[in-house]
Amino acid sequence: MIADMTLSRLLAADVGYLVLPVVLPLLGAFLMQPLARVSARGARILGPLLLVLSAGITAQLWLQLGDAPFSLAIGGFAAPLGILFYADRIALLFALAIPVFALLFWPEFGPGAGGRDQAARRDALMLLLVAAATGLALSGDLFNIYVFYELAAVASFGLVALTGTGRSQVATFRYLMISAFGSVFALLGIAILYMQTGTLNLAQIAQLAPETLPNPIGLAAFALMLIGFGVKAELFPVNTWVPEVYAGAPARVSALLAGLVSKLAVLVVVRLLVLIFPQPEAAELMLVLGVLGILTGELAAWRAKDFPRMLAFSSIGQLGMVFVAFAISGEIGLLAGLAVMLHHLIVKSALFGLAVRWSGSLEALSGAAGVSPLASALFVLFALSLIGVPPLPGFWAKILVLIGLAEGGTPLDMMALMALLLATAIEASYLFRVAIRLYEDTPTPVPPPARRDLGVAALLGALLLAVTVGLKPVADRLGEDAAQLGERALYIQTALPSHVARKD
Amino acid sequence: MRNLASLLFAGGLAFLLLAIASQLAFGTPSMRVGAEILAVAPDEVGAANLVTAVLLGYRGIDTLGELAILFAAATAAGVVLGRRHANARRDPPGGEVLRTGADLLFPLLLVVGLYVIAHGHLTPGGGFQGGVILAAAFFVIILAQPTRHLRHSLISWIEGLAGAAFILIGLWALVEDGDFLAPLLGQGAMGELLSAGTLPLLSLAIGLKVGAELAGIMAHIAEAEAPDA
Amino acid sequence: MMSFTFETVVLIGALGLAVIGALGMVISNHLFRMLLALAIAESGANLLIVLTGFRAGGVAPILGAGDPAASMVDPIPQVLVLTAIVIGVGVQALAVALLIKVYQAYGTLDVRELRDRMDADVAAAAGVEADASQDAPAGGRPLSPAPSRGTAGFGRRSPAPADGLRP
Repeated sequence: MIADMTLSRLLAADVGYLVLPVVLPLLGAFLMQPLARVSARGARILGPLLLVLSAGITAQLWLQLGDAPFSLAIGGFAAPLGILFYADRIALLFALAIPVFALLFWPEFGPGAGGRDQAARRDALMLLLVAAATGLALSGDLFNIYVFYELAAVASFGLVALTGTGRSQVATFRYLMISAFGSVFALLGIAILYMQTGTLNLAQIAQLAPETLPNPIGLAAFALMLIGFGVKAELFPVNTWVPEVYAGAPARVSALLAGLVSKLAVLVVVRLLVLIFPQPEAAELMLVLGVLGILTGELAAWRAKDFPRMLAFSSIGQLGMVFVAFAISGEIGLLAGLAVMLHHLIVKSALFGLAVRWSGSLEALSGAAGVSPLASALFVLFALSLIGVPPLPGFWAKILVLIGLAEGGTPLDMMALMALLLATAIEASYLFRVAIRLYEDTPTPVPPPARRDLGVAALLGALLLAVTVGLKPVADRLGEDAAQLGERALYIQTALPSHVARKD
Repeated sequence: MRNLASLLFAGGLAFLLLAIASQLAFGTPSMRVGAEILAVAPDEVGAANLVTAVLLGYRGIDTLGELAILFAAATAAGVVLGRRHANARRDPPGGEVLRTGADLLFPLLLVVGLYVIAHGHLTPGGGFQGGVILAAAFFVIILAQPTRHLRHSLISWIEGLAGAAFILIGLWALVEDGDFLAPLLGQGAMGELLSAGTLPLLSLAIGLKVGAELAGIMAHIAEAEAPDA
Repeated sequence: MMSFTFETVVLIGALGLAVIGALGMVISNHLFRMLLALAIAESGANLLIVLTGFRAGGVAPILGAGDPAASMVDPIPQVLVLTAIVIGVGVQALAVALLIKVYQAYGTLDVRELRDRMDADVAAAAGVEADASQDAPAGGRPLSPAPSRGTAGFGRRSPAPADGLRP
């Protein structure tokens, strides 16, 4: 009887199940090590199984509840008192993409080199990272976001340190220090916001922001939180950990951190900007830091001599562009930002997938096309899209940013526009250099990418081509996503229905 | 040069923060949400300690995240420190006085820890505080007798099952009540040991997990301390 | 303008701790001192959070404990700070674990010495193994493509023996 009821409830997706994509991976992570002592095989399949389940639940909720945003008061405690999850289209898109990408870049489905214990720890950390990322996408409470952000950070420290060399441990320690430094800033920002508004609920802060925050205090709180959440988003002054960590970490972890986790940090910043800090100074600050990120990142990538570091620096540059795009006011800024962000998610993840075997210096890659023509062709495809060569989606994304900046028209916008064009030239120069080297005629000892990484890269490449062919529907859909992301009133109304009613 | 830049940075930061501080409404908080919680929490949750009511009720998912962070840190420390080599040198054990003292303190600390955990919904304390005291009991043993080793398998069972228990209580509420981590089991009489529904159970799960987690980290660190022979 | 009441002194103390800690993290040349500075900065931030709930003359938010007529302080910052402290403990414990391993690998925690030893290691590794993938001086500073040990199944090959980095 009870089982029957449970089953029927499970089939009819309830809004309450929105917590499951966060909670189930946590449950799996907690049980991973004991399970590995009982059954190594069970532990090995537990992670992928839970990821499929989480993705399924999210997809079913989305299908059943449609595109209108909805919110969930966790524990049944109504919104401003309790914590709420807020699911709009972009949040659900990420909640779906996170388990999928985690599956694509799941560490080997076998025990690996470190033995049973290490494999169980690795899988547990992966699940924790997935739970944290999903929480970041869904949460609508400032401090809850901070908690998930820290969870993502600590889980990624463990994953980065998996390589186990002294060098990677030093890199992890620096990453940890910079991240903790940012956390202190974020905490200070949160404390100031709480002092000003007396609440942590994003919607309620958004409601109160016009009265309490359009002043230097609000701006300072934003700056503090921008630095704090910017650490994972590779924002300019706090991104010095990036090259060493991505070069030292297992390449699939780098793919997830550079591709996925950085985007969720950006999403948090964008929510803050849209909901709480609409003043132009906040966007200008982000624009300047983004431009600095573009220039430093691309120049360093141009100088880089090995493949993972080149990708790491280029990722700093690309995320700088994401910040510049989101700093553009109005819907076009949000659309451009989303486009650049999702494009980078696909392309950079795939490139880091190729770096699993191509971890050495760039010179060693010469002639790799002879050994693995498909991998080289994919590299060229992704490189062209990164540079922004016309039919590919990268071109469309970049053009949107340029149009947005040109429409903005302030001197700061013009400066960003010049920087972006310059960065494109630099990008083209170093990516073509690598492409030419790949197709050199020298025989080479470089190993071809493993079949699985090649498959993932090919899949993402096919996705990129599919978007190229069907750009119009994708662009339309993304435009609607951006419109929904930018609607402050809708967010407040969805998250605090009773509150809005009470106020009127 | 670098120091000059750092000093400028610190000076700027200090100036910024002080400028903010001078404008903050300090000492007279708006308590927009806080006052509301103070008003409704006794009826909604039924815990005398309203901090615990917020910790395990209103902000329960934060607490779950917090547990997960501690777990992630312990797991990552395990990844970093790995397994000890069988022939590694060990620190010599402490003297007779130290060992006897540790043996004497161990049960006392356990009792205090469990007391603090069990009364978390009534008096200051709760799972985290009590869990740390439980862990301290094991710290004392490890420090006094470095040759004695905690069993990692036991620790991983306790931390795994305690964490799972917290989530399963939440999932039980999801199935029963439609909301993850909603309070169940009725509130009982305010101020009694068995009151506030599932809160004491959650406290117990947290306490065991935190204790196992910290004891595990300490055991890993203690084993890694002696450099390999 | 603020007057120097007890409250402002406490507030300035909290912010001061955060600034001192942040400065310490930036200027220390020793990894362990950096960690201590982090602990100081975190306590500053935590103190500020507790203070956001401060209410002149308020009592602890526990029913039946104090004077029922007195107003209670805000319970939420107390919960937040509990969470923040636990997070800080976890991060610091992990940092200590990393430092132990770094010290075992290089025998020092001084930033400058560490850099020298790491460079020397890379040079030695390049000298011993004239592998094509080892000649990677990137960005002016010699940086190796991290010889990996026990990648725990992330697909990177392990060319170097386990203890290649130990002095």
